[in-house]
Amino acid sequence: MKLTLAIHSVNDARTGSGTRLDGGMLTVDVDELRDAVLQDRRLQSVDVEIASPGQPCRIGVVFDILEPRAKEPGTGSDFPGLLGPMAVAGQGTTHVLRGAAVTVVDASQEPGIASKMMEMHGDAAQASPYGSLHHVVVVPRMIPGTPRHVELNALRLASVRAAVFLGSSALDLEPDSVEEYELDGPWGKAGDGLPRIAYIGQVHGHQMVVEEDERILYGSNTEGMSPLTLHPNEWLDGAVVCSYWVMRVESYFYQNHPIILELYKRHLAGEINFVGTVATVAASLEADRNRNCLLAAHQARWGLGADGVVLTKYGGGAPHVDMGETARICEALGMKTVVQVSDSSGDRRAESAMLFSYPEVDAIVYGGGGDIGWNAAPVERVIAGTAEAGQALAQMTFIPAQALCGATNQQGASKIQAMVY
Amino acid sequence: MRVVHYLNQFFGGLGGEEEANIAVEVREGAVGPGRLLEQVLGDGSTVVKTVICGDNHAAENLDSVMELVVEQVRESQADLFVAGPCFVAGRYGVAAGALCAAVQAELGTPVVTGMAVENPGVDLYRQELYIVDSGENVADMRAALIKMAAIARKLAANEDVGRPADMGYIPRGIMKDEIVEESAAVRLANMILAKTTGQPYETELTQTGFEPIPAPPPVPDLSEATVAIVTDGGLVPAGNPDGMPAIASTIWGAYDIAAVDDLEGADYEVYHRGYDNRHVLNDPDRLVPVDVLKELEKAGEVGKVYEQFLSMTGLANPLANSRRIGREIAESLKNAGVDAVILTST
Repeated sequence: MKLTLAIHSVNDARTGSGTRLDGGMLTVDVDELRDAVLQDRRLQSVDVEIASPGQPCRIGVVFDILEPRAKEPGTGSDFPGLLGPMAVAGQGTTHVLRGAAVTVVDASQEPGIASKMMEMHGDAAQASPYGSLHHVVVVPRMIPGTPRHVELNALRLASVRAAVFLGSSALDLEPDSVEEYELDGPWGKAGDGLPRIAYIGQVHGHQMVVEEDERILYGSNTEGMSPLTLHPNEWLDGAVVCSYWVMRVESYFYQNHPIILELYKRHLAGEINFVGTVATVAASLEADRNRNCLLAAHQARWGLGADGVVLTKYGGGAPHVDMGETARICEALGMKTVVQVSDSSGDRRAESAMLFSYPEVDAIVYGGGGDIGWNAAPVERVIAGTAEAGQALAQMTFIPAQALCGATNQQGASKIQAMVY
Repeated sequence: MRVVHYLNQFFGGLGGEEEANIAVEVREGAVGPGRLLEQVLGDGSTVVKTVICGDNHAAENLDSVMELVVEQVRESQADLFVAGPCFVAGRYGVAAGALCAAVQAELGTPVVTGMAVENPGVDLYRQELYIVDSGENVADMRAALIKMAAIARKLAANEDVGRPADMGYIPRGIMKDEIVEESAAVRLANMILAKTTGQPYETELTQTGFEPIPAPPPVPDLSEATVAIVTDGGLVPAGNPDGMPAIASTIWGAYDIAAVDDLEGADYEVYHRGYDNRHVLNDPDRLVPVDVLKELEKAGEVGKVYEQFLSMTGLANPLANSRRIGREIAESLKNAGVDAVILTST
């Protein structure tokens, strides 16, 4: 399976007449983008603004961030099962607006510590991997009285429609560079003798209830899902988006999955044989937990033939337990494991940081975010869903890491580490 | 710096185990390792007082020894209190930890000690003190004192002490955020490569080892026993009378079920943000199984269902808090004559 990313650099962005990409300048025709998103008749209106790096601008509450991308016609489907027709993602050519982001604002969510915002200038912007991107901010507004699950479904569709609309502006252009992603999978001989590494990643934690019309993995809401072997390219090319309940994840980092890209890099460098991935979910019920943990580990062992596994979780404490249990089973099956744990020590004590204690799961990458943040310089512009949310955002004088998109990312992008003293 | 130094009978030159009962005595100036300590501290630092005490005496009279040491440090207007290093000497380590903790708490004077990682004083005092890893070998006295002096200088100057690995102290288990060069993805890849190829790797967090909790003996006769239900699933009566928080509760509640045979969803709420609680809201008995227990009580299989169920919210709770709540709940049930507890978690 081979995925070609045609990379088109975006160095600046503005609104103007006729959406186009020209010499790194992305011009967004607000009316055109609006029309593309308002195909969804559940939406009443859509605001579009651009926020560029260094501008004194704050955005919130963020529903999701995506990279603008579009499939080369005839080579695949955009967000298959969610937006485009079902197809296996990760093949053909995808045009990428590198340096740009579609950032969708959820107008019904109140700002708070658990919600997500983006700061475009100052120290906080520097600390987020999204601080250097040109954000096309989309604020969809619903017909009053729309049930929440319908609203969330409309936000999800708006997010991918906007990403594909903007990505399409590059379809006829010569890319600035080309990236090729190809693996032989578990059968390849090229990496013989190298450690065979798999990735097991959770794409949802059912500690939070999914909606029936929620679209996470190929358009499914992952309810009742068993672990599923995926080619790494599928993650990169629209098979997965975030669930509505997010905790330190954005769809942008599925498209640019830091762990998958790093394992690819090590594979190309001849350090490892990257044999594939397993997508799984953390469970709510014990029976589901036992099944998912066992099957995910067994797929890595018997499906992918892995010697080593990198594991990540989605969400909070219950998924942390599932990840630990999956890692324990992997070790029992003879695979070495490394797990990534997000910061959950409420009292900043190491003894409170872990929810499992397995001596064999002894390689832990520990994220941070519990006691770091940045003073917020005043902003001239706030892009928010409502006046109240705008006011709350404007009044922020301190931005805690956990509120800032990307800073404490659980997909491997974060550079905040909690050190043990 | 003016230093008060604590030594046991052995390092104080009074004798070995046979002198372990020797009472506390205070000497002017440095004794034994104290001279080396002065040297490595440098800058004209002097040990103004040395307190020497037998290990057994200190263990048996810890309160009075603490009082005396605190008084000596205060009177001497010391800038620093040093205990040990104690290497693997267990009673010495425990006393040194207690004395350092007392001086730190009561006077705010900088304190430092040293022990081998295996010393029982480490587990007791590592969270509150800088304990240099002295190793087991007494011949490494000088190396241990050099590390202790480096930490002491930083403490006295009110400077950030730095990382355990750099400064040679045993990690206190306090977490501090830092922005690092490499993303988590890079660190994960480095670690899995090292672990699968047999190279050394360093975990970013060492799991805290916990004492195994032995299974209690079986209830001799359930038909004679009073059985209580305790949950961390955040179930409370409608209206949440105690104000149970939905995350990391610092309180627990006891709710009457004496006259109830079956919990109704309409009468209860769940304050817990960490699990899918639809099933519990639909039928609270699935978290707090009153219905089944009352049936067993009527059938005579269970002696008595305790008249209250106890509830708290376990989500993201610091361990210190969970320990306290656990102790309080256990004590309350024990005082109420409860023989057995069913714990349900989410």
